[in-house]
Amino acid sequence: MTATVLETYQSQLESVIGAIPCTDALRRSAMDKALTAGLPTPKDEDWRYSDLKPFRTGAFALSKAAQTSDMPIQYFADKPAARLVFINGQFSEERSDLGTLSDSVRLKTLTNHCQVDTARADDLLEGVDALDYLNTALMRDGIVISVPAGVHVTAPVELINLVTNSAKAATHTRHLIELGENASLTLIEQYVGDATDYWSNPVMQVRMGEGARFDHIRMQSEGSHAVHTGKLYVDLDARATYRGTSIMTGAALSRLEITARILGTGAHADINGAALAAPGQSHDTITRVDHRIPGATSEQIYRTIADKRAKSSFQGKITVAVDAQETAADQSFKALLLDRTGEANAKPELEIFADDVKCSHGATVGELDTSALFYLTSRGIDPDTAQQMLVEAFTGDALIAVEDDDLRNALMDNVSRWMQERSKGGTQ
Amino acid sequence: MIKIDNLHVNVSDKEIIKGLNLEINAGEVHAIMGPNGAGKSTLASTIAGRENYEVTSGSITFDGKDLLELEAHERVGEGIFLGFQYPVEIPGVSNLNFMRTALNGVRRYRGEDDMSAAEFMKLIRVKAADLKMDMDMLKRFVNVGFSGGEKKRNEMVQMAVLDPKFAVLDETDSGLDIDALRTVSDGINAQRRDDTAILLITHYQRLLDYVKPDFVHVLANGKIVKSGGPELALELEEKGYADVA
Repeated sequence: MTATVLETYQSQLESVIGAIPCTDALRRSAMDKALTAGLPTPKDEDWRYSDLKPFRTGAFALSKAAQTSDMPIQYFADKPAARLVFINGQFSEERSDLGTLSDSVRLKTLTNHCQVDTARADDLLEGVDALDYLNTALMRDGIVISVPAGVHVTAPVELINLVTNSAKAATHTRHLIELGENASLTLIEQYVGDATDYWSNPVMQVRMGEGARFDHIRMQSEGSHAVHTGKLYVDLDARATYRGTSIMTGAALSRLEITARILGTGAHADINGAALAAPGQSHDTITRVDHRIPGATSEQIYRTIADKRAKSSFQGKITVAVDAQETAADQSFKALLLDRTGEANAKPELEIFADDVKCSHGATVGELDTSALFYLTSRGIDPDTAQQMLVEAFTGDALIAVEDDDLRNALMDNVSRWMQERSKGGTQ
Repeated sequence: MIKIDNLHVNVSDKEIIKGLNLEINAGEVHAIMGPNGAGKSTLASTIAGRENYEVTSGSITFDGKDLLELEAHERVGEGIFLGFQYPVEIPGVSNLNFMRTALNGVRRYRGEDDMSAAEFMKLIRVKAADLKMDMDMLKRFVNVGFSGGEKKRNEMVQMAVLDPKFAVLDETDSGLDIDALRTVSDGINAQRRDDTAILLITHYQRLLDYVKPDFVHVLANGKIVKSGGPELALELEEKGYADVA
């Protein structure tokens, strides 16, 4: 079965050959590797909590390029540095607003990325598993933002990935973020789509130079029948600070894999997130934080919620190499079940080879505190509002890395709306 | 104002209240005293409408309405307030947000408009100052990191903001030093009016020195076994429950 499915993907390769200059050899190599690697199986540890059926029962066609779509987009920044919109994996000039961003940073679509400098094709990661390889082999486009050394992009950049009219079709987008020494950027990345059963398979690569700072919001709000398998690779050089907050509410089946490699002393990575699974949804987060160098820190705060028949899983691995002394790495995972038929899985993993480190992890699964609920209702607060307040408080822990008050409040409003939909029965 | 008639209450299938009768009129302060396990807190929770407190028979009528038909938050809208023996800590929810949401919940129940943030701040400043609670504590998460006395003071601020017709105060005096007891007692006395009623649940006479009750009842084994005036509390203090009840 797997072989047949992958052979179908192989047959899609020719249609994208030439779409992005200098990448054809990489595409072919990646496709070969996908065939060798094979699709994930339930025996793959990272896939033990995800339903593989959508991948194994048949191949997704390539989504059709679309210039525009009238689907509404919710923006989070009042005055963004730029709004970059991709529709079915292709840059939409019509819906994007580049502002003056390209005055201070190098801003290219992936299709223009290596037109002049062919060596830039080497920036693209080939991948580590079949889904990465398929992304590399079949990617249509993406954004490349290179912030030069010392440049601070003060207003947030909004990056919207929209999928439409793509029933049983896949979109493979590749985004590259490069921050030079002491550069800084705030990115609000969104994944949205219509109610078709599409597959969104994006990869984002982030490279941070010494002392760079990247504030990254990632919102997965895909359509309710979608499959989302997102990958995020972050490399941090010395004293770089990555502050990532992911919010997952969409898709029928959703996975986010984050791999952070800490390659320089004094670097810090915040890898936080909240996942809210409505009835029947499955949300899976996999983090790998790799401390290779002494004297760096990382912190992970994940809060997940699972309603009826919903599943939320978290697998977080911290690796501390033998030389990475004086590492401090913390991880906290808490799951809240809103119904007895909900499911939460937690698998924290520490692999520590150095001896002078401070690492911790904690994982809990619980229900809403009935004493707290009674306390709130005994003060005249109706039960739906009381539940919403407790869920907001629970989720709020995962949003602390978002320093901008307005932005944090806007993200919290999404959580509130999720709860309001729930009490209206909209997510049943 | 409130009439409790032959009330029977089960908690986890065990009968705790076994035929309790009590009537409290506007303008009255009643105190219920009694040994541990007599059912005092169960009575308080039942009046407030806590889930899993199963009324197997009897009735509670409040201002002519069947209280048992109403959910907990609706009872607050009708004018009932429960002061908790152990106020609950709620990390992540600020005290101010909590109280404003509560007040507006009650106002909505009564068909009134929400109170604006500015108007609410004016109100809360006055009420907090009356109870010697600084604004800093109002900005903190509900009861998180509060001392026992601060938690009880916080209960009194909530009561003052909601201005109930009938307040049930469950061991509001426990865990208070003498200064805090005075402040809390002032809070209770401020709520004592011709159009309100108060039910104090307490172990000790001490609170009743500051808040003088009109009636004192002894609750033992799920029933009121003796009622009297303020002198009954003194008698209990002196002789203990065994002799009196």
